Amino acid sequence: MVVFENVSFTYKNGEQKNGIYDINLSIGKGEVVVLCGESGCGKTTITRLINGLIPNYYEGSLSGQVLLGGRVVHTMPIYETAKIVGSVFQNPRSQFFNVDTTSEIAFGCENMGLPEKEIEKRIKDTIIDFKIETLMDRNIFHLSGGEKQKVACASVYADMPDIFVLDEPSSNLDAASIEELRRIIGIWKSRGKTIIIAEHRLYYLRELADQLIYLKDGRIENEFSAERIKNITAQSLSEMGLRALKLEELKGRERSFVEKVECLHLYDFFFSYKNGYQAMAIEQLQIPKNTVIAVVGENGAGKSTFARCLCGLEKRCNGVLENSGTIYKRRKRLKSCYMVMQDVNHQLFAESVLDEVLLGMDKKDVGKAENILESLDLLQLKNLHPMSLSGGQKQRVAIAGAIASKREIIVFDEPTSGLDLLHMKEVSVNIDRLCQMGKTVFIISHDLELIFECCTQVLYFKKGNAEGPYPLDVKEERKLISFFEINNYETMQGVN
Amino acid sequence: MKEQPSQSLPANAYLNLDPRTKLFLLLIISTIMISGEIRGMALYARLVLAAIPFVLLILGRRAKAAAIYAILFAAAWLAEAFLIYNTKGIANIVIVMLSGLISRFVPCVIMGYYTISTTRVSEFLAAMERMRFPRNITIPIAVMFRFFPTIAEESHSIDNAMKMRGIGARSFVGNPAVALEYRLVPLLMSVVKIGDELSASALTRGLGGPEKRTNVCKIGFGAWDAAFASLAVSAAVFYFVSLGG
Repeated sequence: MVVFENVSFTYKNGEQKNGIYDINLSIGKGEVVVLCGESGCGKTTITRLINGLIPNYYEGSLSGQVLLGGRVVHTMPIYETAKIVGSVFQNPRSQFFNVDTTSEIAFGCENMGLPEKEIEKRIKDTIIDFKIETLMDRNIFHLSGGEKQKVACASVYADMPDIFVLDEPSSNLDAASIEELRRIIGIWKSRGKTIIIAEHRLYYLRELADQLIYLKDGRIENEFSAERIKNITAQSLSEMGLRALKLEELKGRERSFVEKVECLHLYDFFFSYKNGYQAMAIEQLQIPKNTVIAVVGENGAGKSTFARCLCGLEKRCNGVLENSGTIYKRRKRLKSCYMVMQDVNHQLFAESVLDEVLLGMDKKDVGKAENILESLDLLQLKNLHPMSLSGGQKQRVAIAGAIASKREIIVFDEPTSGLDLLHMKEVSVNIDRLCQMGKTVFIISHDLELIFECCTQVLYFKKGNAEGPYPLDVKEERKLISFFEINNYETMQGVN
Repeated sequence: MKEQPSQSLPANAYLNLDPRTKLFLLLIISTIMISGEIRGMALYARLVLAAIPFVLLILGRRAKAAAIYAILFAAAWLAEAFLIYNTKGIANIVIVMLSGLISRFVPCVIMGYYTISTTRVSEFLAAMERMRFPRNITIPIAVMFRFFPTIAEESHSIDNAMKMRGIGARSFVGNPAVALEYRLVPLLMSVVKIGDELSASALTRGLGGPEKRTNVCKIGFGAWDAAFASLAVSAAVFYFVSLGG
């Protein structure tokens, strides 16, 4: 169905270094193929060669050819390729052309000029297959990331392509939505569709994949059949820089727990939306100081609300924080807490990395700022514009800003969504550094591997209530894994 | 999972005009309100036109926006009618400027807001196609429909980030250029990125093919379209006649 013959491609201007070299690949009809490897290994490039975005949208030099059912992709206009190949992308915020969900499902069919009756039938069928009645006629700006990704899959499905290409579809999803994604891919597979997925998270594809292709520096380094996938050891995965295939095999690293620690006390953290819906209700919470706390729970359980209220961003939350006898009300928390956002681009303002750090200081002290940059390996970048840096570097600049303004509590919102193993470990090292400086760190995450890598406490969120925090010891680790699994089960029941 | 209530889509409004009617009303209201003559009989024509977006907002279940608009406009209108002649000096200049700007521009902005917030992207595309507008014009405008909420969403996140850094409005007094830069640079970066990904996504769904697009959404003129359009046309004719006479 999909054949690569000696394909090499490099991007024009070398703007993206993720070229690929001498790729030979043959994917049969009805197969599920997973492309994996570190960031920049070329897996996204391969997906773009299949859906025709290369060479129609991203320019560069191409040799060899990609065949879809015998037709050469790069000689086909992209609207022709669109009829055979359906694509789902990483970012749920940027793949909708319409503002309402129903029109989005019809969009591809309308572009193909199908008769209206046929489109209406397809919309109906899609709604039934995906069980998305409740998501119809909704404004996409009011959907959660998981719901958006589901609508994106449904819209592509309505176009009825033979081949599906997914580029890191799980990046922004929580455990329950990933489970849902797994179910959707299962439906496609059972209908004989050919599916190609570029992905960092592998565990949810373990049973579905017929072939796992490991790329390194733009070349195919290894291929695993379904049989061999089952026998890949955790150690060889980590040597290849890949994420876990089996969550239940994950182990936290050695941690020591101090018996008596000073605690931060939180009182009366309540929050309701204007429509009266109560998103969070916490009467009291004790957080051990100078620890790294994982904040887990489904989407909508109140984790982000908690983070915003803790950082003093919500005026309608009257909660207080007590730290060694001092009371921190909202305005004071705004100055003593800091959130590293999921999209770190939103919080970098200055013209250079150094200015960015100085911006947060009460007294502008260049020497001190440089020390902070030094401690985060950023000193050599101090004169660059923050926007010219890589994602990981930007995140470190944001952390540097928080340190410079002497924040005691630092909250990370999904710091590792869409990161490979290497970059995830880098984030974990930075969090360790913060902990060594005496900060209290909260990590909102659906990334079990990150949590096991650097957290020492775990705080569960369920329907607006917090439970914990519990020390993340071996027993708690088991509980956390099953929490993720039970979580999935409940949500699936809810959806079906 | 609980959701915030969804913004009312056209389906739950009391009345939804054809996108072409909305654009036509927008054109007439903008032309006449901005060219604003405030004396003589023309005044009444302008009042009628200014009332159109108000009525539409009410019928579109946007009572809050309608109320804000009504208060703003009434205040500006009354100021133009009475205060201008009874004040002097700086106060007079400020009142003339403010009331003039509000009474001329706000009706157009509100009509634009109404048009964009109650028209689905697909309805707009269908309407433009029926008027035989070339796609090079309609598609970029259609993308704009989607971009207003995107900008609002991104801007909200940036706002939060600025609050956390302690760089709120107060730290910019006397330095508006920096305030603008801090706000715009991150906004532009993310909007450009989203735009880029959006185009790629739309291409893979076959936008821009040579086939004639079909549309599942229902558009078409009804009695209400005729009523509003003829009201606007009569007001416009009356306005120009009274200017000439």
